[in-house]
Order: sequence, then C-alpha cells, then structure tokens
Amino acid sequence: MRFSPVVRRAFISSLPVMMGYLAMGFAAGVLLAAHSGISMPAVWGATTSATSISGALQFMIVDWARMQTPLMQVALLTLCLNIRYAMYGLSLIGKFKNITWWKKLYLIWSLTDETYALEVAEKESSHNDSIRYCLTLAALNHLYWIAGVTSGAVAGMALPFSDKGIDFAMTALFIVILTDQCREAQNRIPAAIGGFAAIIAFLIFGSQNMLIPAMIIMITAFVVARPKLDAKREAKVNE
Amino acid sequence: MNSYMLALVAVTGGVTILLRAMPFILFGSGKQPPAVIGYIGRVLSPAAIAMLVVYCMGVYAESRMTAEHMFGAAELIAAAVVVLLQLWRRNPLLSIIAGTAIYMVLVQCVM
Repeated sequence: MRFSPVVRRAFISSLPVMMGYLAMGFAAGVLLAAHSGISMPAVWGATTSATSISGALQFMIVDWARMQTPLMQVALLTLCLNIRYAMYGLSLIGKFKNITWWKKLYLIWSLTDETYALEVAEKESSHNDSIRYCLTLAALNHLYWIAGVTSGAVAGMALPFSDKGIDFAMTALFIVILTDQCREAQNRIPAAIGGFAAIIAFLIFGSQNMLIPAMIIMITAFVVARPKLDAKREAKVNE
Repeated sequence: MNSYMLALVAVTGGVTILLRAMPFILFGSGKQPPAVIGYIGRVLSPAAIAMLVVYCMGVYAESRMTAEHMFGAAELIAAAVVVLLQLWRRNPLLSIIAGTAIYMVLVQCVM
C-alpha cells in the first residue's frame, strides 16, 4: 500500500504525539480501571477518550466516576479546565474556511493541545493539501489517545503489582503542567491567584466541595485585577 | 448500563466540543472577539491548573496528615521530585512516571 506524500508527512509529524498519547493515555486508563470502581472500565475508557480527547480531563473523569460528582460541577470544571480550547480556534478560522461541514466538524472536535500546535505550524503548499494534512494528523492523534486509554484500562484490570499510590499520576500531571506554565513570567501571577483561591476554598469547604468556590474567588479576583494584570501584559508586548 | 457514566460522557464531551467550536460559531464571519474574553482565557488556564494541584494535595492532606504517615512526607517528596525533574529535563512523561513510581514505593514500603 502506498500513501500520498501529504499523508506521510502528517504521519511523521504525529510520531512524537504518538509516544506521548500512548503513554499518558495508558496511565489514565490504568487509573480508571484501578480507582474509579466502575464496571467495564475498558468500554468507558474508550468512550470517554473518543468523545473528549483531553488529557487532564481524562484523569479527572476517574475521580468523578468514583464519587459520582454532580453533573453541574462536572460541567463547570470541564469548562475551566478546557477553556484554553476556546482560544485555539481563533487562529484556525481562516485555515478551516470553505471545506465540507463534516470535515470542519471533525477538525474542530479533534483539536487537542498537540494537534493544534502541529496544525498551526503546518506549511503545505495548497489549501487542499493543508486540509488533508490536518485531517490525517487529527485522526491519527485521536486514535493514539483512544488506544492508550483503552489498553491502559484493560491492563489496569489485572496489574501484576499493588497499585497503591498510583493515583499520584494525576497529581504529577498537574504539577508538570503548572511547572511548564510558570516558565512564562506572565502565567505566574494568574497561577498564584488560582492557587491562593484554592487554598482558601480548601480550608473553608474541604477538598470535596472546594472547586466551585475556588473558581468563583479566582474569577472575581481576575475581574477586579484586570486593569493591573492586562496592562502589565500589554506593556510587555510593547517592549 | 451505567447511566451516570453515560451522562458523564455526554457532559464532559459536550462541554469540551462546545469550547472547541466557540470561536468558529462566534467569530467565523470575521468579527473581532472582545478583549475581555482573551484576557479571561489567558489567565484562567494557569489558575485552573494551580487550583487542581491544590485540590490533589488537599485530598492527600485530609487523609494522610498523621504521624503514622509522617505528615504527608511521601506526597511532598514525590511532588518535589516531579518539579525538579521537570525543570531539569523538560520531559513530562519522565517526570510523571518517576514521581509516581517514587510515591508508590514510599506509600507501599516506607510510610
């Protein structure tokens, strides 16, 4: 079987994503099987990974499934956790113009951090090739993620060692993301506000009821501090 | 069939897809997005992640801040390992796997 050069280029640029998604998905899948207490974890691993394609969310789903978290809270948390996705599309509106609706829908649905980064960077010579490249890349990354989570969930049903403490993978994931975000100076004050709001909410409400109050506190703080925080950023851009 | 899980799939998937589609729905025709949206989106991402770190550590604090568990030393050590490894090697998988492995050894064998 021979693939067109566009498809081949998409496959090659998807390789690093494959490593990441298979491994990270596998960890989330193991956790789902070992810690959520649901039956048929492989089925739910496949379903959740196929529909939302979102790393941090996949780990939160384990906790939500175990505690049967109220859906309103799930919706609000998903919104905060994934609000960055609402920014991604802004730079792809032009690229995804004038294509069949179902292709466009799929490209939007499959827009993860990694897929976005590669799609923004792609430099195919024609619009047709661009779309083909993006569709191939999106579908491959989507498949890697589903494969990782599902195989992890299967493996997690029969781990050869004690899984006590494996829940730390989720904590570690969030710490890694936070560490990387804090490399950029402009993220440090927002992260500090978020962390401080969360500590206040934790001390008052305890871990199981803290997230909604924490989000209310931080959004209030951001609205109040906007003249300061936003101005600071503009000054930086103008430098 | 687990109806809670079905609802969970619908809510998480629905909200995520709606977020991804938002710019295309609102600004597909070339309108400029208001500045406040960009601002909130920018600051909320790091803040939400910081909140989740506090949440995860808070869950541990509630169950493991006892003398028997050395007042959460395993969590602090593992968290420090993750931060230092990530600062040093910039490899998310390495940091997560090493931190989790150290944590599992600590809680299973030491504290």
